[in-house]
This record gives sequence, C-alpha cells and structure tokens, in this order.
Amino acid sequence: MPSLDIAGLISKVAMGDRAALASLYSAVSPKLFAICLRILKDRTDAEDALQDVFVKIWQRADRYAATGVNPNGWLAAIARNQAIDMIRARRPAADTIGDEGLEIADGGPDPEAVSIGLGEGRRIDRCMGELAPERADAVRNAYVEGLSYQELAERYSVPLNTMRTWLRRSLLKLKECLER
Amino acid sequence: MTELDDSDRDRSRDEVLAAEYAVGVLSFADRKRLEARIEHEPAFALLVAQWEDRLSPLESAGEEMPPRTVYPKIEARLFGTPVAAGAARAGWWHSLALWRGIAFASLAAVVGMAAVQQGLFGPAPPPAPLVASMTGEGSPLALLASYDAASGRIAVTPVAADAGQPRSLQLWMVPGGDAAPVPLGVLPQDGRGVIEVPAALRANLGDGMTLAVSVEPPGGSPTGLPTGPVIAAGQARHP
Repeated sequence: MPSLDIAGLISKVAMGDRAALASLYSAVSPKLFAICLRILKDRTDAEDALQDVFVKIWQRADRYAATGVNPNGWLAAIARNQAIDMIRARRPAADTIGDEGLEIADGGPDPEAVSIGLGEGRRIDRCMGELAPERADAVRNAYVEGLSYQELAERYSVPLNTMRTWLRRSLLKLKECLER
Repeated sequence: MTELDDSDRDRSRDEVLAAEYAVGVLSFADRKRLEARIEHEPAFALLVAQWEDRLSPLESAGEEMPPRTVYPKIEARLFGTPVAAGAARAGWWHSLALWRGIAFASLAAVVGMAAVQQGLFGPAPPPAPLVASMTGEGSPLALLASYDAASGRIAVTPVAADAGQPRSLQLWMVPGGDAAPVPLGVLPQDGRGVIEVPAALRANLGDGMTLAVSVEPPGGSPTGLPTGPVIAAGQARHP
C-alpha cells in the first residue's frame, strides 16, 4: 500500500476510527510481525509484541503528524522499539551510557533545520560503504537483530567501551554522509 | 549519566543518545530513561524520530502473516469486546439524493452530540465509543459514525476523505438569484464541535434557504467563494 494511504489511515486512527485501525492492521501487520519475530526469535513473544505495537499505534497516532516522517518508518520504529524493550527486559545488559565517542560529535546542524530525506535506500548503502567494513557490519547487525552493546562487544571480541566508540562514531559519520 | 553544562555538548550528546536509542543498543534501564524524555521533550522526540527515519532503509525484515487470533485480542484490549466494524461500501452510496439527505442528517447529529457532551457528561471523559468510518469509492467525503452506548446516540461527523491531501468541508448559505454564496463555516472534524452561524447571518437562515457543502483547501476557501466541488446541497425547511 502506498505510504500516502498508510499516512491517511494513521490520521483516521488518530481520530478514533476503529475501521481504519483494522485496515491498517491488514496492510502492515505482516511487516511489523516479521520485525518483531526477527528480533525476538519466538512466535509467541512476537504475537504479544504485535498486540502491544497496535495498542501503541492506537494511542500515539495523533503524534504521527508532528513527526513529518515516512509512515512506514514510523510504524516500523514502534515495532522495533517494542521488540527491543521486550528482549532487553528479558536479557539485562550493562546500563551505563558512558562518554566514549562523544568527542567527535560537534554541534552539527540544528535538528529543526534538517530536512528528512525519503527514499534513502541507495544513499544509505553508499554511506554504509564509507565506513570500515567491520563497523558497518556492526551497525547493521545492531539495527537488524536488535543487539545490545554488550552482545555486539562479545560478537566482535572488543571491549564494551571500544564498541561504544565504534558505533557512535559510525552513526555520526553515517548522518554526516546522509546529509551531504 | 554525566552532567554537562555546555549546551552544544548537550545537543551533540542528545544526538548520540537519540541515535543509540533508534539503533536499539542500549540497556533496558537506559531505554526507559530515554523513553521518558521522548514522552516529555518534543525536541528530543524529534531527534529520535529523525534517527529512526534515517536508519529505516536498513530494515530488511520480509513479511510474516501473524495468526488470526492476534487482532481480536488487540480489539479486546482497546475496546473491550471485539466487534466487527466494517466500512460501508455499496453502489447506492453514490446516490446524490442520499448524500443530500445524509449531509443534513449529519449536521443534526453533530448538533445533538455536542449537546449531549456538554449537557450530560460535563468534564468527565466519555467511554471509548464504537466508531465506523463510512465512505464511498472515490467520494471526497467520509462520514465518521460514533456510537455512544451510554446515551444510545450515534454522532455522524462529515470529514474530507482524502487524508493524503488535507481538505476542509465548508458549509455555505446560497441565497439564490444573483447573490453570491455566503460562507457559514468549515465543518469541524473533531466530532465535538458545531458551526457557529455569524450573528449577522442568522436572520437570513429560514425556510427555503439553500445550504451547500463544498470541498475546500484546509481551513476553508481562500477566496470567500466556493472553489472546490459542491458535494451536497439542499433547501432548509421546518419539517
């Protein structure tokens, strides 16, 4: 379904339209279920997550318009965040945010002034290509599998603080490249 | 978390935190802390939404059909009991005569709903109503019906159906003859309001006056005259 139609359904859901919620569910639940399943790796957990995702969509639809982002990305983020919260609650990870990698994070453009590009599929591949392969790989695995810093550090056999520095620098480079 | 004074440094720190939240690498406790900030700090919520959008092309999950049992559970959680709420789609829906009748019925129902909400419920939030969105294929207008079980009333709110291209529905008084249509107001889309007829125009609203609804840019016609298609019109009279 084109994103314009999805955005229209979200607007109707924001007005309390139950039928629109049912249509939105038909249109996007296979995608959102796949996202939950990939991160949680368990069907029952993914079904529970999907319920929570649609409860949140119903409750937060009125905030969608203010973000101005692609509706499919907005929905996918709700699913990812729900699944990641569930998996983090189950497998506790070290919870110090730390300062590693912050030193190169200079001001940058005002977030208000940054326009959000749509259809960045090819651009993100080019920008990922500008990162060292192992670091690009870490960013992709973190995103796709919903890995924690601790799990990433173990997978790449580096100290936690090193992984934090890698990932932060990589993300800021990625942003700089995407906005170039 | 370390306290930092410098606002530039705070902003770049927030940029990194938003990115880390969006990627999903943080611990449960850190995520909960940031979710509280997303809830209460619009600027931070925007940073997160931008990162989520920026990273979304990395999404590679395919599609997987969830079991049929999931959606009824969602409806049960949100609305109590799962009830099939379907959108009415039928040929007779296109009948102009029907549309004319409905346009007036809608306004009456909206007035009724407003009275119910102000008079009976006061400030207490009403229970979540049963809602159906009714539209016809290609119609610029949709009707949002909302049934309030406590009062037994259905409020029907007309809305411009093409949400992708926001439109307003504007109500006009059409005196006829050479006189130009007079705008009475934009139909409220929140399901709660009514159109307040300007005092100077009230004397003109009587038996035989034609009322019409047109589709206009958001907020109403910029020219003071109808610019979009008139989707409903009819004469007012005392039944």
